[in-house]
Amino acid sequence: MSFSAYILKRIGGLLLVLLVTSFLVFGLLYLAPGSPLAFILGPRGGTPAQIAAVTQQYHLNDPFIVRYFAWLGDLFRGNLGDSIVYRQPVSDLLFSRAGTTTALVSLAAVIIAVVGILAGTFAALRGGWVDQVVSTLAAIGLSTPVFVVGVALISLFAVGLGWFPTFGVGSGGFDTIWHLFLPAVALSVASAAYLARITRTAVNEERTREHVQTATVRGLSPRLIVRRHVLRNALIPITTVLGLTIATLIAGAVVVENVFALDGLGSLLVKAILQRDFAVVQAVVLVLVVAFVVVNAIVDVLYTFIDPRISLGSKQ
Amino acid sequence: MVSRKKAAGTAAVLTVAALALAGCSGAAKGGASGPAELSLDLNNLATTTPAGTTPVDNVKWNLPYEPSSIDPIFTWNYAENTVDASLCESLMRMKPDLSQEPGLASKVETQDDKTVIYTIRDGVKFWDGKPMTAEDVAFSIQRQTGSSTKSYWADYFKNVASVAVTGANQVTVKLSKADVLFTQAMGSAAGAIVEKAAVESGGQAFGTPKGNLQCTGPYKVGKWDSGKSLTMERNDAYWNTAVKPLVKQVTFSFIADESTAINALRTGDVDGQFFYLPPAGLSQLQKSDNVTTTFGKSFVFWTLAPLNKDGALGDEKIRQALSLAIDRPALTKVVFQGAAIPAPTIAGPAMWGYQQDTFAEAAKKYGTDPNIEKAKQLVQEAGSPKTPIVLAVQGSSAVHEQTASAIQAAGQAIGLNVQTKVIPVEQFGNIYFDPAARKGLDGFFTTNYSDFADPLNVYAFFQTGNSHDYIGWNTADDQITKALATSNEADRAKLVTDIQDKVTTGLPWIPLAYEPTTLIQNKRISGAVPSFSYLYAPWAVTMGGTK
Repeated sequence: MSFSAYILKRIGGLLLVLLVTSFLVFGLLYLAPGSPLAFILGPRGGTPAQIAAVTQQYHLNDPFIVRYFAWLGDLFRGNLGDSIVYRQPVSDLLFSRAGTTTALVSLAAVIIAVVGILAGTFAALRGGWVDQVVSTLAAIGLSTPVFVVGVALISLFAVGLGWFPTFGVGSGGFDTIWHLFLPAVALSVASAAYLARITRTAVNEERTREHVQTATVRGLSPRLIVRRHVLRNALIPITTVLGLTIATLIAGAVVVENVFALDGLGSLLVKAILQRDFAVVQAVVLVLVVAFVVVNAIVDVLYTFIDPRISLGSKQ
Repeated sequence: MVSRKKAAGTAAVLTVAALALAGCSGAAKGGASGPAELSLDLNNLATTTPAGTTPVDNVKWNLPYEPSSIDPIFTWNYAENTVDASLCESLMRMKPDLSQEPGLASKVETQDDKTVIYTIRDGVKFWDGKPMTAEDVAFSIQRQTGSSTKSYWADYFKNVASVAVTGANQVTVKLSKADVLFTQAMGSAAGAIVEKAAVESGGQAFGTPKGNLQCTGPYKVGKWDSGKSLTMERNDAYWNTAVKPLVKQVTFSFIADESTAINALRTGDVDGQFFYLPPAGLSQLQKSDNVTTTFGKSFVFWTLAPLNKDGALGDEKIRQALSLAIDRPALTKVVFQGAAIPAPTIAGPAMWGYQQDTFAEAAKKYGTDPNIEKAKQLVQEAGSPKTPIVLAVQGSSAVHEQTASAIQAAGQAIGLNVQTKVIPVEQFGNIYFDPAARKGLDGFFTTNYSDFADPLNVYAFFQTGNSHDYIGWNTADDQITKALATSNEADRAKLVTDIQDKVTTGLPWIPLAYEPTTLIQNKRISGAVPSFSYLYAPWAVTMGGTK
């Protein structure tokens, strides 16, 4: 499949997924009890007249289908709507938070890839006690709740040693990397542990393959064998897992965002769901779906570089 | 989210303690084994902290969440008001001791009980340099009146018949019926004055991160980075030249997670924060050498509000029994870490803004010691109902959960079946006015407060038709109506103590504790106002460095 055909197919699939998810999410929100009234009227509530006026203004009592298509219509005109709670255009809310999420997830992705692949490879190649230690650490990493990791990191490195700030995203550039380092580590621990295990298994499997044994028998240097014959082949499962992990981090960073008081998309989504802020929920879900599809498309493209036998969009 | 709370405590039961004296900056040191035992002296809660002495470029202050708007008509909660207090000034101003003085109105006259004439202060300028006019004042009141107003403060304006500019410096408000709450509410954010032109050109965006708020306060909006921070800058053209703030810039962060906020305060990543409930990490803060803790005089109280008229708590005898079974002194010690005062009545002493002797005398007859025998007897008299009493508990709030457990235990001791239901914080606010959200619930906990020093402000909640009247309790309607129209303070105090008697007996709300403000300041700064007035009056103008 040519690259452009692949892109077209992907975009078509994306649009379909977007339509289905937005319908499902809208429907589920609609069915769930509760309303955004408290946030429009304020904590003191309102008179029946005020409640009626607001219900009318925000179309809270319109049938589900009418509201869904109104939203869809706005979307086609490039309008994501206004947040009921924040009284701001949703696009403004998204824009300011997308940056934080992108920075956090990118940093975490780098940590996951570097730590996960190195630790897994190291464990597989060295074996023995190194393997034992890495496997044990990976098990601990996988089973420790992320907020425990976050709180522990803050207590140790922010409060105890004072090396890092306790919260926030900083003022851009290096300051942001410094601020986001602990949250990214907290976010990475479980995924890096998982990736280490996958890498270890994949590398072990490749090492027993015939072409690797042949290369060994031919007396090629172990370093070359590992790099060219073992790691390269092991990269396929590693890339798959890494791609999926990163995509889930985007929405899954909620806990880390709360612990480190970051304004990411995850916490915006959770808050919006609980506040029944429909427009915000829909917009964040759209962004998440797009991100998920894009990350997977990137993984697909990467496959073709790792293994030229794989063609774009193939089922192999 | 919604915070209004109350606790019951009579002067007779008060414990006098060494901590939390006004301006006390020596944080209590906890023993090695646990948190310091706090006991609060209700008569000695702080109203000021020692003024700062040196200029400071930037102070980092934390809010428990991001304000959704800073348009004063939408500022009806802790974070919003903490910010607006320094930005937008009101006709009257709340002093740190919680009394009121003239603010943007230099003079207030009430011709008869239904006509209020405000003389507008000369020389007041908005941040953009335009002078504040009577037109702006009339507009700021007008936009909160009428049935279609979006103002969160609409309750205070419901009796406003007309607002008119009656002179170059004069605005006259006519009331359809006498309302002693209206004039006092002008000392809260309800009386905040905004620039008419800015509101009209701002439209929907006014008061949002994109909207151009225009007020007259000693600080002005700098940059509001949605989701990250809100910065306010000193207004160097402030009309009151006697006020010279030492802090050039205050940057608000929005750390919602309490333990993160505590850590940020301990490390100095944040310089200060007001807590309306003592944070779970209070003892850590008190052990820290970096911060000072001050407990300020406050109107806030913690209360259990019955919801279901037909449920067990709809029965007055069951309410009385449950109230008698609750060990309030233990509750304040355990749940509030000692940073609260057991409350025998809804309105606490901080609200006695007039006729203190009358209120103090009236309060003597209530106590907070539990009486299990009498409670059991009341339950029997009520027919020992077996239907469960379901209390709504706000999600991820330790104070809610622990109070609910204490009340569960109290209920069990007298044969009542108390159960709890957790409601997420984002949905909790719906209970206040959405009958659908109250379904299946018999009561909920609320922090609540009066907006000024008049117990009538909270007792008026129990007038039939008020949005706080959840169980149709109507025993004091006549007195409340009469008190609302009584401007003579001695007469009003008598009426209010009568209402208090009825409310404390009938328990449309069950008082639990009075809650002082907990102010945390880094030792590098001092001077923030620790009393409840931080919500409605500039609390940062006395703040400055300590070195």
